[in-house]
Amino acid sequence: MEEPRKDVLGHLAMLEMKVNHFAVKQQVSCEKEHKATIQALLTKRDQLKSEIKTTTSLQKIRTLLDKTGVPCQRDVDDLDDGSENSQLLLLMARHTQLKDLLYAHHLIGGYDVLLTEGKGVCVSMATAYESLYLETYNLEVKLGPKIRISRHNIPPFIPLEMLVKQENLQTDFSAFLDTLSQYLNAYVGRRQQLNFIKENHKSVQLMETNAFCTILVLMLTVPGKDIAVLCTLEYNNHKRCLPTRVKIESKDTVLPSSPQWRKNQALFLETPVHRALVTLKKTGSIV
Amino acid sequence: MLSMDDSTKFILKRLIRRIPLQMLQKTLSKWTYLREDLDSLDFKQSKYIFTECLLSLFEEKGTTVKRITELEMIYVIENPNQGMWHGFQLSDAEEDAPTVDLIQFKEQFKAHLIELNSHVSIKIKKHTDEAIWIRIAWGSNFTNPNHLKPTYAVHHLQTPYVFVNGLSLKHKPLLFQALVLATRYGSMKDAHLSGRKLTAIRDLLMRQYQQMFPTKHPRPLQEKNPVPTNPKIEKEQAVNTENRMQVACEAFGDGKLPELQKAVYQLETKFRDDSNKTLKSREEPFRGVVEFSSTNLLESLRHAVSSGIAATPVSALLPAITQKRRNRFIITDK
Repeated sequence: MEEPRKDVLGHLAMLEMKVNHFAVKQQVSCEKEHKATIQALLTKRDQLKSEIKTTTSLQKIRTLLDKTGVPCQRDVDDLDDGSENSQLLLLMARHTQLKDLLYAHHLIGGYDVLLTEGKGVCVSMATAYESLYLETYNLEVKLGPKIRISRHNIPPFIPLEMLVKQENLQTDFSAFLDTLSQYLNAYVGRRQQLNFIKENHKSVQLMETNAFCTILVLMLTVPGKDIAVLCTLEYNNHKRCLPTRVKIESKDTVLPSSPQWRKNQALFLETPVHRALVTLKKTGSIV
Repeated sequence: MLSMDDSTKFILKRLIRRIPLQMLQKTLSKWTYLREDLDSLDFKQSKYIFTECLLSLFEEKGTTVKRITELEMIYVIENPNQGMWHGFQLSDAEEDAPTVDLIQFKEQFKAHLIELNSHVSIKIKKHTDEAIWIRIAWGSNFTNPNHLKPTYAVHHLQTPYVFVNGLSLKHKPLLFQALVLATRYGSMKDAHLSGRKLTAIRDLLMRQYQQMFPTKHPRPLQEKNPVPTNPKIEKEQAVNTENRMQVACEAFGDGKLPELQKAVYQLETKFRDDSNKTLKSREEPFRGVVEFSSTNLLESLRHAVSSGIAATPVSALLPAITQKRRNRFIITDK
């Protein structure tokens, strides 16, 4: 009887010892944990403090840059740290300034510029006509000793090579982009006018069009007399949505030189064609 | 009543045989020449009997070969994805190249080609999508124009691209010369892009397919091509899958891709693999040809990258197909 009881008691004693030992260990490890946490928090605090310092210095340099455009070396040195740090801060300030400038450009509807890997930039040009956003065209450019266009989705009838030569891509990249943007916006504008005619002016016959939308020949009908009038619109300035030349022809040779049709001819030169047609319908010139 | 001679009959028979039965009615109804006679034709007959009926109708009308070539052109324009199309690019535009219009092009092309070879039969037609289709049957001092082997050329005005089908080496310089002069460019060179489908070659060369460019807003996960798989794996692998898809689409394009059948890489580089010492020790370049072929090559390559079969980053040689818009490459050690 003694033996089993001793065993059980012994076992219980052993368990109690283990618990005590474990509790002590727990305390010790708890302490260790706490110490580690404190250390981590301290380092985090130091990190945040230096970040705050950097950000405030950066803001100061940035306001200087925005005001003067060129930071005064004295002001930069004023913001303690070493000389390398101030150079770095200057670069960072320039970087944030450029980023904000690009964002502002994006907001006003200008093209977006993105950095791509392998020393390149991707320019995204949004096009719009009459408050309607149309396609976005992209141009990927590789920067090196020579700026080279590597990839794009610009339609083939836009004379890209001619523009590259004309605007001298190497020296004035932004001028090239501006001209390209004008070409693209004018093209989508002319195309949109053509779509409006197709949708809203079914009585007008489209005799000739082309992919670049630089020529438009319409067949209009004069009400009552049932005479056909051929109206040729030539868009030779590819940067504009309005025609450069308007020709009115008809079997009735007197009609084109009549005062009403001279006014209509002038109207075509000043107003987008779909609006001009609405006016012509209202005044009863055409059906 | 002029009866059709045997060669004309043969040409007509060949053409009708070429047009599949299902398309026969549709194609013939587009031909204005047969407008009044269309009702008298019975399309439910067998093709052989139908051809005989058509022949007798044409003999009554005195149809010439030129008329029959009209029908062939209608058929080819509606079904351009046959034969082998080659892409060419015009360069050195003159000042007035952008202002060349249809009438000017037609007149100039015909005039120049006839000057170079007076025994040609030319037909030019403008299609609704602003493409100018040219059909040329070539002859010589001893033969009439051969209407069984015509050359087709497609050109879009105000673009520097021409697509050609069925051109022999002998006639190539003549066609090129006429095209260069009519479009007011300086020269025309091979774009090294060819395939069975005109639409694919055209879309690739004229950049009319959906390309993917780096954007500030990468497209959201799981929006495109949802593949039904184990949702647990999908969740774990979502970011990786999306990244691979992004790389694949940037390299080859988004959405429906132009259907190319082949890409050929001609290698003239030194042998580099260490496993074969004899070949590696040779000084001259190791000449080899690598050919990829598929029913839809670009789609296969994109899938290989997006599914992870091909490791990223992708070798620059494969996306060069879409980047440089060609499918025949010669690779040399530089």
